[in-house]
Amino acid sequence: MPSYKNLTGRLLRRNISAAQLAGYAVANLVGLAIVMCAVQFYRDAHPGFDQDSDSFINRDYLVISPSVSTIGTITGTGAGFTPEAVADLERQPWTRRVGEFTNADFNISASIDFNGGGMQTFLFFESIPDEFFDIRPSGWSFDPENPEIPIIVSKDYLALYNFGFASSRGLPQLSENVINKVPLRITVAGNGRIESFPGRIVGFSSRFNTIAVPQEFMQWANARFADPGETRPYPSRLIVEVENPGSPQVRRYMESHGYEIAGDKADSSRASYFLSVITGVIISVGAVISLLSFFILVLSLSLLLQKNRRKLTDLMLLGYSPNDVAKGYLPVIVITNAAVLVCGCIAVSVGAMLWKKGLESASLETSSLWPTWLLGAGIIALITLLGYFSVLTTVRRYFHPS
Amino acid sequence: MLQHITLEQTLPLVFQGTGGEPPVAESQVWLRNLTLSRGSSYLITAESGTGKSSLCSFIYGIRTDYSGRILFDGEDIRNLGTGQWCRLRRESLAWLPQEMRLFPELTVMENIMIKNRLSDRYSEQEIRRMLQRLEIDNKADTRAEFLSVGQQQRVAVIRALAQPFDFIILDEPVSHLDARNNTAVAALVEETASAQGAAIIATSVGNHLSLHDPETIRL
Repeated sequence: MPSYKNLTGRLLRRNISAAQLAGYAVANLVGLAIVMCAVQFYRDAHPGFDQDSDSFINRDYLVISPSVSTIGTITGTGAGFTPEAVADLERQPWTRRVGEFTNADFNISASIDFNGGGMQTFLFFESIPDEFFDIRPSGWSFDPENPEIPIIVSKDYLALYNFGFASSRGLPQLSENVINKVPLRITVAGNGRIESFPGRIVGFSSRFNTIAVPQEFMQWANARFADPGETRPYPSRLIVEVENPGSPQVRRYMESHGYEIAGDKADSSRASYFLSVITGVIISVGAVISLLSFFILVLSLSLLLQKNRRKLTDLMLLGYSPNDVAKGYLPVIVITNAAVLVCGCIAVSVGAMLWKKGLESASLETSSLWPTWLLGAGIIALITLLGYFSVLTTVRRYFHPS
Repeated sequence: MLQHITLEQTLPLVFQGTGGEPPVAESQVWLRNLTLSRGSSYLITAESGTGKSSLCSFIYGIRTDYSGRILFDGEDIRNLGTGQWCRLRRESLAWLPQEMRLFPELTVMENIMIKNRLSDRYSEQEIRRMLQRLEIDNKADTRAEFLSVGQQQRVAVIRALAQPFDFIILDEPVSHLDARNNTAVAALVEETASAQGAAIIATSVGNHLSLHDPETIRL
């Protein structure tokens, strides 16, 4: 017995042009694959984007200082950031927040006691608001009742010792764990007092090129050991969290105000910035191709509807609603788009495999493909919906021919 | 349930300004007030070009190029939305267009089932029995494009009947049928309509549908 199910679908899908649909599918696949590959590559090559790690493309923080002038060197007067300069920096659209480095206004020396012997050196301390640190070691606080000074030093100092000094002099290399266990004696002198405190290196920062102590200690010690007759100098260094350290606006501002950016953070950030720009351009090209392919889909559907116009009208005269009729085209749109999505996912997976080796040699871990696949699914779902609505709109127009 | 279809001073726009001349001057429909009621039979006779198919199209909601008003139980049909028209065409108004509008690529049964499945009015066996009554059961699985016009007309009649209705509008339903087939079609239509208390509105330019005692209205 013949089946009378899905008669409308059979009726409406006659006259479908396989060539037009294939043209759309190929064009959309190219666009989608470009967008997905660009997004995946960006995610793979930009691991520091989401996390606050010390990867080579790090985000967001710049340590700046005013240029040191020759006259300043001779007279001994250091340049600093006036409150107006700090306020102006905070007003910039790309600035998220600004933190000040606080200097110690007293003399510091540190000593290490070995069995019977010892070693002593003069030091400097700086402090930075806690929220700017990339690490949060335990014991990072200071209590005047039970004074022990926790210290964070730059990772560069350790690297300098291990790979510069120790290896050339035949001394043992030191790990972070070993250094953490070394007891220090910190002697602070100023304002007619000399006091000693136990100290310990609690962590290593890759963000700051300094010897940092907690802000509580610095405030307490400056109040106790600084000469009360001297006015406090302006901060000589600032840490600025910015939207994009590599952007030209930031660079121009720093140059025009004569500020120097510490380390090569700006350079790596510039690489990150260019990566963003190039990815943006590629994604745009992919999006334009996808958009054009969407128009091919709409055009080919509207040609199909035009060819089937009499049938569509007749079905609606029998009592079928525009929705019922438009649904007849939904399987065509969904199946074609699903095929495009599957091919797009395969394309991005193959692409990711190809560039994975290159990135791994640069010590970068590739990221999961799932978010990119989901993005592709989202784009395809959007195209499917828009395609369906374009069909529905045309069919509705046919409902009221006069 | 649709009880009355009322035409108030209705006139196709193409006849605008010809109120004093034939055919409008002699018409019992155009520029008159006329009410068609459920349960009755109407034979609308007309000469060619007097707007017979236009009248059917106006009532069925396909065209709106007329002046005056057409009311379904007092409601102006110009105000009906897409959803309301769909429901009316499934449940209250059956229509056989003059040009039949069968789908040539579908078989006879498919052409009828595509309408019948909207309301599941009849079983496949019942439809085959109707085909038998109109002597086209042997064409049930033949594609419509291979039928003669007379055969197509009978298929279109059964398709129009394959739904619940309060009014059935038949635009020249037997123009290509002989007297015997005319009687068979009329009997089937009257039987189906009276079973649900529905009205029959049949138009004709010459070969009238052989209804029993219809009210004849000149267009």
